[in-house]
Amino acid sequence: MSLLTLFGFRILLGLSAYVVILTGQISMAQAGFYALGAYTAATATAIWGWPIVPAILLGGLVGGLFGFLVGFPALRVRGLFLVIATLAFTEIVRMVFLNLKYTIRVGDRTIGPAAAEGFRGITYYYENGWSALQIMAFTWLFVLAVLAGFWLMDRSRAGAVLRAVGEDELAAASVGINLTAAKVAAMAAGGLVAGLAGALYAHYATYLSQEEFGALLATFAIAYPLVGGTGSVAGPIAGVLFFSLLIDGLRFLGDWRNLLFGVLIIAMMNLRPHGIIDVGLVRRLRALLHLRRERAYAGD
Amino acid sequence: MTDLALDVVQQLLNGFLFGSSYALIGIGFTMIFGVMDKFNLAFGVTALAGAYTALLVLHLTQGPLALLFPVAVAAAGLVGLVVELVCFRWMPRDYPLAPLMATVGMLFFIDEVIVHGTHGRPMAFPAPMGEVMMDVGPWLLRGDLGFMFLVSLGVMGILWTLVYKTRLGLATRSVSQQPVAAQLCGISLVRVNAAVFVITGMIGGVAGVLIGSAVGALSPLLSLPLTVKGLVTAVLGGLGSIPGAIVGGLLLGIVEYEALYFFGIGYRDMVTYLLLFVFLVFRPGGLFGQTRH
Repeated sequence: MSLLTLFGFRILLGLSAYVVILTGQISMAQAGFYALGAYTAATATAIWGWPIVPAILLGGLVGGLFGFLVGFPALRVRGLFLVIATLAFTEIVRMVFLNLKYTIRVGDRTIGPAAAEGFRGITYYYENGWSALQIMAFTWLFVLAVLAGFWLMDRSRAGAVLRAVGEDELAAASVGINLTAAKVAAMAAGGLVAGLAGALYAHYATYLSQEEFGALLATFAIAYPLVGGTGSVAGPIAGVLFFSLLIDGLRFLGDWRNLLFGVLIIAMMNLRPHGIIDVGLVRRLRALLHLRRERAYAGD
Repeated sequence: MTDLALDVVQQLLNGFLFGSSYALIGIGFTMIFGVMDKFNLAFGVTALAGAYTALLVLHLTQGPLALLFPVAVAAAGLVGLVVELVCFRWMPRDYPLAPLMATVGMLFFIDEVIVHGTHGRPMAFPAPMGEVMMDVGPWLLRGDLGFMFLVSLGVMGILWTLVYKTRLGLATRSVSQQPVAAQLCGISLVRVNAAVFVITGMIGGVAGVLIGSAVGALSPLLSLPLTVKGLVTAVLGGLGSIPGAIVGGLLLGIVEYEALYFFGIGYRDMVTYLLLFVFLVFRPGGLFGQTRH
């Protein structure tokens, strides 16, 4: 059950990186948005006493707002430089939370972000007696909503615009696509989704420490869509399944599991450099589906 | 002179000297980017692997400390070659994200090999010059940092000769300027790329030993900071530019030490990253960058 909940956070994080990757940008800022969402939502429920839903939405909005803000300077930097710039953003956010102190005392407990000691006492689920099943369902409600949103976007004009920008900026600009709007929108959407994921994670984890939100998390965020493929929203999910099944499925190997982990990533990238579910595969599947439909018509 | 000015200059000196190791790591990132237009995120951990191998050989043979450098250089050069083979050679040329991800896999793998071999505990690293202190006027010169600077300077000198005085260097420079034209002139891309990975690996090995002896210990936890610092250095100087990486590394060292003095350990890295972010936005090409990216 809690494994499914964890899948939910990872899929959201992967999707948030996916929408940015569609525009041809690699963002390591997702971990920063995730951290911002987590700390904001946790502050809202634990210190301000907000109910859960507005708190989660606030976390998402804060993530989205920062995505929007980071999107603008990021326009000036492209390709691999953006990787570094956004990595710097994530690290700056982490450093801010390393130094941020904003606590209240409830009885004999200290609640809130206490600099290096981390954020203790995010007990909304516990206080309201939520079961693991309820937490899972609540998390997946958001996952499914985002998945549906992205799936629809992918099939609409907006998806085509994002992919066009990702394929060739010059060509996209020459057919009248506003590059600035497309890139900033993708960054804001990515920030929103990462913020939501962080907000949900904070309440699941009940304790936050800035160490979790560093370069490693940012790397995983982009690894999900890159390994899973960016052909469709199924890509990041495939990536999450690939990594999660490896992490949990290879447990019987004990210590050797972690060694194999790196080797498998290298092997995957050599075998399927564009990810498991890449654009080519999606096209072939669509063609297959189309063919069948046509055969069905021909049979009439 | 006031105490403040004295301290500022002292930190300037320390930062400048320590920055030379960042410069070496930065050179590794920047050279690989120069010839391939791709990032090798496994480079920091390659340097670490070299230092660890040297430590292992030293423990096994009980040999002299001088053994550290040749062993680390050979081992890291070999690791560099392996990285090129498994993460770059068979990948599509025009899609930099696949090798990027593969080198992340390599980073995890080497890190885990180290964790596995040392049970995750930090290992003490010999510091041959750790006790030496020199007075320079009112300031103190740490022996290990001075040693680090001299060795780095030597490595840079050798590299300069290699890049500007040999046929391999000529081939490397031509590939980094125009790969297609270089290929048309009969230069083998595969061989140049492999050579660059071996050479940068060897530089990484030296850097690994220097950093190990300055810090006094090796830990797998060093791999991520090394990677990030190397990238920062390379970007500050302008990707693809070796002099840029040298200046970038020294600058990063100075900024870090001054930030440590003025703002404390909690804010040191924040200042570094802010500087980086500002640099990227307002001067994306870095100090010595070309405009082609």
